[in-house]
Amino acid sequence: MADERKTVEVPLDARRFAALADAYGSALHRWPPAEQAAAMLFAKTDEGRAILAGAARLDAILGRHSVEAPSPTLHGAIVARAATEVRQERRRRFWWLGFGLAGVGLAGAVAGLALVTVVNPDIQSDHYAMDTNATSFGDAGPEADPYEEDL
Amino acid sequence: MGADTDEELVRRIGTGDAAAVQAMVARKLPRVLALATRMLGDAAEAEDVAQETFVRIWRHASGWRQGHARFDTWIHRVALNLCYDRLRRRREWTTDELPEVADEAPLPDAMPGDEGRRVSQALQRIAPRQREAIVLVYYQELSNIEAAGAMQVSVDALESLLARGRRSLQAMLVGDDGDD
Repeated sequence: MADERKTVEVPLDARRFAALADAYGSALHRWPPAEQAAAMLFAKTDEGRAILAGAARLDAILGRHSVEAPSPTLHGAIVARAATEVRQERRRRFWWLGFGLAGVGLAGAVAGLALVTVVNPDIQSDHYAMDTNATSFGDAGPEADPYEEDL
Repeated sequence: MGADTDEELVRRIGTGDAAAVQAMVARKLPRVLALATRMLGDAAEAEDVAQETFVRIWRHASGWRQGHARFDTWIHRVALNLCYDRLRRRREWTTDELPEVADEAPLPDAMPGDEGRRVSQALQRIAPRQREAIVLVYYQELSNIEAAGAMQVSVDALESLLARGRRSLQAMLVGDDGDD
């Protein structure tokens, strides 16, 4: 997470200079860029030189730790695996893309069907038209059941 | 080498370019291996982490999109996560509290030519988060903002981790070397 405060040039006092040396060591190129110019000026003072000398002792010792270069065997094993992994990943992405397109097509078909149903709901009107007196059980109009009229 | 030609290499790898694969391994393997070696203190485990890191690179190559992080920072994050998986398996602490006070006794003097191993031992004795900060800034030469990004902490938190880590290392390594 970038700290915006660190991009603003700020003056350095001995306390801040010592804190930076505690954190980043004696090599000013590792210090926050915004504070390097001020640090270079302070480093020329006696106090600055003394602080950097203290940090440099640890830096020199840390610098003695080196890591062997990767072996050709390791390099070869990593390279050999690349072709397979990249090919498999591309195939996997291809299939997901296919599924995605199929899903989009299906969704489009469903949406189209729904749209047709909403726009033209009377599509079956010529099969059977419900009379205002009709019920699900048949026509319940006045002439339908003379027995009811007697009631 | 341009500032971010890593992204161009990744794009070519995604198209199956074998030369780009070779170039990427040549460029990044030493950095990944060094990072894992210093984080884990074990060369064999570091090689495993390096291999797993590259498998993730190959898998993401065809779909790589640059977000906020540069590719190099992303690789560091991947490798660090793999290191932490292994550290957890070793039941090491992943926070920076307990180990910080655990072991700051000065290490024995190194035999000539053995200073590197002494430094490695000292690195393994400080808290992993402090070690991570020092490895990223000091050895991997990430800027403070890149290191903080890879560690997902603020720059202030990074500075605190660095300072505490260096103080512990100072006690272990410079305590008997201060009269130089």
